[in-house]
Amino acid sequence: MSAGPIIRLEGIRKTYLQGDLEVRVLKGIDLQISAGEFVALQGPSGSGKSTLMHLLGLLDRPSSGRYLLQDEDVAGLGDDRLSELRNRWLGFLFQTFYLIPYISALENVMLPGLYGSTPGHQLRQRAKDLLEQVGLGDRLQFRPGQLSGGQQQRVALARALVNDPRILLADEPTGQLDSATSAEIIQLISGIHRQGRTIILVTHDQETAACAQRKILLRDGLVENH
Amino acid sequence: MAAAALWAYRLRSTFVVAGVGLGIASLTLIVASVDGAERKALQIVKNFGPDAVFILGGDIRSRAVGQRTLTLTYDDARRIRDSLPGAYLVVPMRGKSNVTVSFGDQQRDLPFIVGATAGYAEVWNWPLAEGRDLAETDVERGAKVALIGDTTARELFGNASPLGETVKVNRLPLRIVGRLSYRGVSGGSASVDDRLILPITTMTQRFNMDRQYFRALRVKFRDPENMSFHVENLRSILRDQHHLEPADPDDFSILTAEEVLKFLATFKGSLILFLGVTAVVAVLVGGFVLANLFYISVSERRTEIGLKKALGAKNRAILLQFLAEAVGLTLVGALVGMLLGMGIGRLLEGLGILEIQFSWKVFFLALAAAVAIGLLFGLKPARQAAALPPVDALRGD
Repeated sequence: MSAGPIIRLEGIRKTYLQGDLEVRVLKGIDLQISAGEFVALQGPSGSGKSTLMHLLGLLDRPSSGRYLLQDEDVAGLGDDRLSELRNRWLGFLFQTFYLIPYISALENVMLPGLYGSTPGHQLRQRAKDLLEQVGLGDRLQFRPGQLSGGQQQRVALARALVNDPRILLADEPTGQLDSATSAEIIQLISGIHRQGRTIILVTHDQETAACAQRKILLRDGLVENH
Repeated sequence: MAAAALWAYRLRSTFVVAGVGLGIASLTLIVASVDGAERKALQIVKNFGPDAVFILGGDIRSRAVGQRTLTLTYDDARRIRDSLPGAYLVVPMRGKSNVTVSFGDQQRDLPFIVGATAGYAEVWNWPLAEGRDLAETDVERGAKVALIGDTTARELFGNASPLGETVKVNRLPLRIVGRLSYRGVSGGSASVDDRLILPITTMTQRFNMDRQYFRALRVKFRDPENMSFHVENLRSILRDQHHLEPADPDDFSILTAEEVLKFLATFKGSLILFLGVTAVVAVLVGGFVLANLFYISVSERRTEIGLKKALGAKNRAILLQFLAEAVGLTLVGALVGMLLGMGIGRLLEGLGILEIQFSWKVFFLALAAAVAIGLLFGLKPARQAAALPPVDALRGD
């Protein structure tokens, strides 16, 4: 577990144009997240936490400010380079899982590997192992539609890990699950944290947030306290 | 992956395949029928012979109403044979239409019988399947003999040989001395294989026809390379024979293989134009169906696109995925279209409407057209998909 910030945001602003109206969503975020840290990102709706999550996940670019990921300034990089960085460094969990419905669980897990450089047979083996680790070793060929919500999120979790990312970004990963299933997912996420990965978790739920080492509260586009 | 997506959206895929398939089917049909027309044209020209001319009474180009078509005389034929350099075979011909031919209790209406002189089969480059050609003596004596066409022979005699048998044309008995081989190519509506050929003398005497004139004249030359020269000589002989003043138009028409080819080329040109326009329209319609359905596909699959980008797909990977789907579909459409086109082609050929020639050319043209449609009409939707910012795409559900 290396110390030092894996993520550093300096004066990040994000402004959208809605018609003629400028909507300032993030108004200057300064934030550091250390490698191996488990942080919960919280805040009321409209506070800008989704936008911040998208910026952290390199799915969007800030209007201004600096974003250092492993000391590389990524704020102004091109589409392809951002794709590469996402592919290698970041794993994603979403509230609605976002599994591709017409391919099997195994193929869904392999998906990020197809855009990377892992050789095919190795990728398949790794995807199988991961599905086994999340308890779906007997469901490899199931389609997402044949799986329960909790199972789908576990497939998504295996997918997020297939390229061995340093950072896991989870956006309300338990938002659509009942409390028992949520607890299982949070357990798995905690396990992933113990493997040395950095976790950034967006959640409404205080109980879910409780397992994080640090809470970051966002209000009106600004970080309220560290 | 692309294949799985196509299967997942199979209703839409079916529409694309149908749209492109119809386009490719018409393309297949068009290329095949143009090739068929070409094959037929070549066959006609080959049968006509590059070393021969065919002279018809009357000017077929001006087609003046009421003009005389019986302008060629035996005197013309004699003079051509005697004094036209290079000509070695001259055969005058007359036709008589709508006669009845019978053998035993078999009866058959013939569209056409021909009266000719010695060497009819030879002058038309038409090999005999059995027996002999018309001879000088047949013509001199007005002999009651005939050559029989392949179709006519089969209708009357089945597989038995007609040689030596006597058929009746109207009430005139004729002994069959030769059977022409099957030629199969028809110039107009009637089959060339359904006919009888008898000495022209026998025909004019027995059917009480004009004895001075005949309808057409076939001339064969030794050296086909000098054909234009022969044609000019022939023309001046005939104009002299018919006492035409320099200002008078010809009262006969001289056809050569080259002219037949020219006529067929014009026909082929209009066929290509008509069918070509149809094919282009059909293929374009298929392409637009594809493009539209792919735009719908891109907007419906925004989440999928966004997700793949989030997982590290570069714009290029998304572009290639959608292009692969488009080309995959158009290729399936091409195969379906080719089968459909061939089916319709066979049907039309069976009904005698079109002459069809399938070849590898058709196959490769159809495949190339399909790939082109896929790339051309799939490119814009695919680009649109590739350019979607991941955050917008993910938000799109």
